[in-house]
Amino acid sequence: MITIENLHKNFGGLKVLRGISLHVDKGQVVCIIGPSGSGKSTVLRCINRLERPTSGRVVVDGHDITDPSTNINLVRTEAGMVFQQFNLFPHMSVLENVTLGPRKVRRLERGQAEKLGLELLAKVGLADKAASYPDQLSGGQKQRVAIARALALQPKVILFDEPTSALDPELVGEVLEVMKRLAREGMTMVVVTHEMGFAKEVADRVIFVDQGVIQEDGPPHEFFSNPRNPRLRDFLGKVVSHT
Amino acid sequence: MAFNFDPGVMLDTLPMLMRGLKWTALITVGGLFFGFILGAGAGLMKLSRGWAARKFAGAYVETIRGTPMLVQAMFLYFGVPMALGLRIPPLVAGIVVIAVNSGAYIAEIVRGAVQSINIGQFEAGRSIGLTRAQTMRYVIWPQAFRRMIPPLGNQFIISLKDTSLLAVIGVGELLRTGQEIVAVNFRAFEVYLTVGLVYLCMTMAIAHALRRVEKRLAARVRR
Ligand SMILES: Nc1ncnc2c1ncn2[C@@H]1O[C@H](COP(=O)(O)OP(=O)(O)OP(=O)(O)O)[C@@H](O)[C@H]1O
Ligand SMILES: [Mg+2]
Repeated sequence: MITIENLHKNFGGLKVLRGISLHVDKGQVVCIIGPSGSGKSTVLRCINRLERPTSGRVVVDGHDITDPSTNINLVRTEAGMVFQQFNLFPHMSVLENVTLGPRKVRRLERGQAEKLGLELLAKVGLADKAASYPDQLSGGQKQRVAIARALALQPKVILFDEPTSALDPELVGEVLEVMKRLAREGMTMVVVTHEMGFAKEVADRVIFVDQGVIQEDGPPHEFFSNPRNPRLRDFLGKVVSHT
Repeated sequence: MAFNFDPGVMLDTLPMLMRGLKWTALITVGGLFFGFILGAGAGLMKLSRGWAARKFAGAYVETIRGTPMLVQAMFLYFGVPMALGLRIPPLVAGIVVIAVNSGAYIAEIVRGAVQSINIGQFEAGRSIGLTRAQTMRYVIWPQAFRRMIPPLGNQFIISLKDTSLLAVIGVGELLRTGQEIVAVNFRAFEVYLTVGLVYLCMTMAIAHALRRVEKRLAARVRR
């Protein structure tokens, strides 16, 4: 589904990604963990080309996004994205947020798009909020709308960038529940997260990124119970002591 | 020769100013209409990826903001016809001057408002597969436009007052009409006082309307 080969990304002189290679199979849930500034968001943003890779190859569902002839807008509909800060459109109702993509990108008629939108809102437990505006929602509700908005394009994979980091602790659970449901339904997911519990429970693989390279990549039970990499051990120690 | 203030002159002057008032209103509204189109175009060009478009829009804004409007008006009304060999009707000249002048300031208003929108909105639009243009149209512009309303209202007041400069090129707007009345009755004090009060009434009315619009917008954003 996603193949990344020797991905490098520089911001000016700053080498943020220094050779990332990663393969995500269809239906897999991959969690990416790592310290702040290690380049986790940058990896995700290179997958749907919100950032242009400096070098290396990124192939999403058969489309090489580093190839200039690739229709990037099409690839972006295949790879939905959920942001830490939700980034809902504040001037649109919840339903309009969800239907904008289907209508303008998929060219569905309003009626069809709204039917789809309401189904997806029901799926994330927010059917009754269709007419509300983002300002009227809690953080957890906003993030669930954002997930519905991403799902509305019927993507093959969803990229989550710390989807619960901006939430009050009591709202984290409702968002993780929705994500777990998606995982069970077979959605391919790449999730940057600090929620170690979620990673342990849901991930097929956990990846530890530090200093722009993948330091460790493995199934969660090995990863957490028996971390070989000293930097990972150090990182896990810090995270656990904080929670 | 003692000066005696005669309020009666003011009352007599007022109806005679109406024709000028109509021109002032027409030039202001027409000028700002085209000025907004120009300004939106130039503002978006300044934000575009194209180097030439950015430079071109930048040069326009700099030139207009760096020269007096009176010079722009005289250049267009007296200078350009000499080069082209055709006379421009005063009303058209007035509207063009206000449009070109306000357009430069509106370009900066548009640019500032668009840039004030969080980059995350742009990324969210792109992430659902919208093109740059679609993201601008459906996501960024509606939000930016709300932020433009207060400065655009301010520009409305500025341009309204600026139309008085067109008196110099003989456009029969409010101030020019006043001058013509003074030429006949020599009551400069009363006539210009009346002219000033008419401008003041208009600017106060615009400012008042603007405050109401802003309140309504604020209420809508909070919902
Ligand atoms: N657009 C940019 N321009 C310049 N530097 C950037 C840009 N985006 C990210 N960086 C830098 O790249 C590095 C990695 O950023 P990134 O956001 O990928 O880290 P992260 O692992 O997601 O961290 P966090 O856990 O804090 O979100 C940081 O040092 C950041 O300052
Ligand atoms: Mg990040």
